[in-house]
Amino acid sequence: MSELEKLHEAVIEGDWKAAAAATEAAIAAGVAPLTIVTGCLVPAMDEVGRRFECEEYFVPEMLLSARAMKASMQIVRPLLVATGAQPIGRVVIGTVKGDLHDIGKNLVASMLEGGGFEVIDLGADVAPERFIEAAATKNANLVALSALLTVTMTSMKTTIDAFQTAGLREKVKIMVGGAPVTQQYADAIGADGYGESAGAAVALARRLVAA
Amino acid sequence: MPAQNNVCPTVPQRDINRLLSEHGVSSRDRLRTALEHREPDRIPLDFGSTAVTGVHASCVAALRRYYGLSPGPVKVHEPYQMLGLVEDDLRAAMGLDVTGVFPRKTMFGSSATDWKEWNFRGLDVLVPTDFRIRTEPNGDILIYPEGDEMAAPSGRMPMGSAFFDTIVRQPEIDDEKLDPADNLEEFGPISAEDLDHIERSVRTAGRSGYGVAASFGGTAFGDIALVPAPFLKSPKGIRDVSEWYISTRTRRSYIHSIFERQCEIGIGNLARIHARIGDAVACVFLCGTDFGTQTSSFCSVATFRELWFPYYKRVNDWVHANTAWKCFKHSCGSVERFFESFIEAGFDIINPVQCSAAGMEPGELKRKYGSRLVFWGGGVDTQKTLPFGTPREVRAEVLRRCEIFAPGGGFVFNSIHNLQAGTPVENIAAMLDAVHQFNGVSHV
Repeated sequence: MSELEKLHEAVIEGDWKAAAAATEAAIAAGVAPLTIVTGCLVPAMDEVGRRFECEEYFVPEMLLSARAMKASMQIVRPLLVATGAQPIGRVVIGTVKGDLHDIGKNLVASMLEGGGFEVIDLGADVAPERFIEAAATKNANLVALSALLTVTMTSMKTTIDAFQTAGLREKVKIMVGGAPVTQQYADAIGADGYGESAGAAVALARRLVAA
Repeated sequence: MPAQNNVCPTVPQRDINRLLSEHGVSSRDRLRTALEHREPDRIPLDFGSTAVTGVHASCVAALRRYYGLSPGPVKVHEPYQMLGLVEDDLRAAMGLDVTGVFPRKTMFGSSATDWKEWNFRGLDVLVPTDFRIRTEPNGDILIYPEGDEMAAPSGRMPMGSAFFDTIVRQPEIDDEKLDPADNLEEFGPISAEDLDHIERSVRTAGRSGYGVAASFGGTAFGDIALVPAPFLKSPKGIRDVSEWYISTRTRRSYIHSIFERQCEIGIGNLARIHARIGDAVACVFLCGTDFGTQTSSFCSVATFRELWFPYYKRVNDWVHANTAWKCFKHSCGSVERFFESFIEAGFDIINPVQCSAAGMEPGELKRKYGSRLVFWGGGVDTQKTLPFGTPREVRAEVLRRCEIFAPGGGFVFNSIHNLQAGTPVENIAAMLDAVHQFNGVSHV
């Protein structure tokens, strides 16, 4: 089994120690950092997403795979930066103002990172101005907003409106998700897309950056 | 917040309640009949009897204004979700049938027996005396466990929110040194003080004539709201939410050890409680562990049966063998796949019946499980219809749900989870009016 195959398996099995070891070994064997990402981590996380969608995997397995992917990315990322390789998109993600729930957002962030995006994770309870500042300074082309509560999902509209007011709305695509959020709500508040699950969010993000 | 002129436009609902009692069927009998899968004279209604069928303090205040009741400050009996106590006068005005017995201590570990005034972002409320907070410069409110300001805060309410969330305090995990006892600090023999409190509360509830739903605590295996232990000053073991979920996969023997001991302690405490109160309560809210998400579940049925089922069955078997209590299980989300296992484990009641989640179509649920599970909830969607719909939409949804769930009993009307902050009081009133109309008393 090649080091990339070992890494692929380690991510799918959620073994972060094996993922880190396989990544180190692959680099030592001369595998290009970009190949590790596009040829291994992206398809591995796609497979994790597929298993989640068809309910072979659940939240614990997703968290484990995300941890393994991150262990690999932690090693690969500095090398990628050094080579000047560009991600397929740059996403600013966060749970909106007033809402501290972050498990769903963290899963989406991990899936996006594993899907080849550069992810700027602002955490939870993020004010509109922080989204705007991060999107502007990091030159992001995607903004992903999460909310769990009906009380706080209205902050999504506030955030989208703030992008409009700041004159940045046309520069970024904005996607939304979270338990109470629906496609209908996303349309009503002027979002560019709605992701029903972590896997769907990655597919949506890819469509939005390709558009 | 609702406008001051949002008051009941017709006859006060307390008159409805008076007329109901004149028909000779008490709320207690109505609830028992429904729980026994016989069709009562009317669908029993619950708002406020448990921490999962409750009413946000701001909604309690709005309802009190709407029904023209004294506007005194609302008691926040559960600060974590900022649930307001539904007092007898409001229960009567809303035409409800169930009252609650609550644990002595709140989610933040303070005793909810003595009260002090607090201004909750413009709303005057009463909170437990040991409710100790600090307001951050950005307006966030931090709350201390057990009211101890020397301890690290265990909850945060951000500006823009109306609820607290737990601040996770996760000590560094060394797998070699993990000891299940660390995750068992909150479980132990019930104290004499707690027993006295329960006995007093049950006695008071029993005199009310309402059906009684009791929450004793201690039997919620891995409820993710309780895992971080916001009620403890310095929790040990696995307290981070993600780490706990991961542990259900990677540290299963550790979790079994916790559940095993918790189960022994929990059954011992139920026995002590039953020895004091007998069968004076209709049902016991035993567990609020969520197994569902909006579109899927947190684990497979196979994992559920391996990790949770044995402990649920032991608790429920004990209850059924020794008491007349019905066993109440709460789980949000898409959980239809677990219903056969819930039934086999001995649960009698499922809440909140989240019909908006995947695979939770109300007609199918009633057809497949209606004779074996009581649906306590499912009355109206609180993610969309109730907070954001019109009164007409609320009414239509409520009537549809009543038509589906009411036949043959086995239905207690409640919204899908607590009435959330920001819900228009007109919509809450429309919901109640629709149930009363379905029950045949809307002409009053």
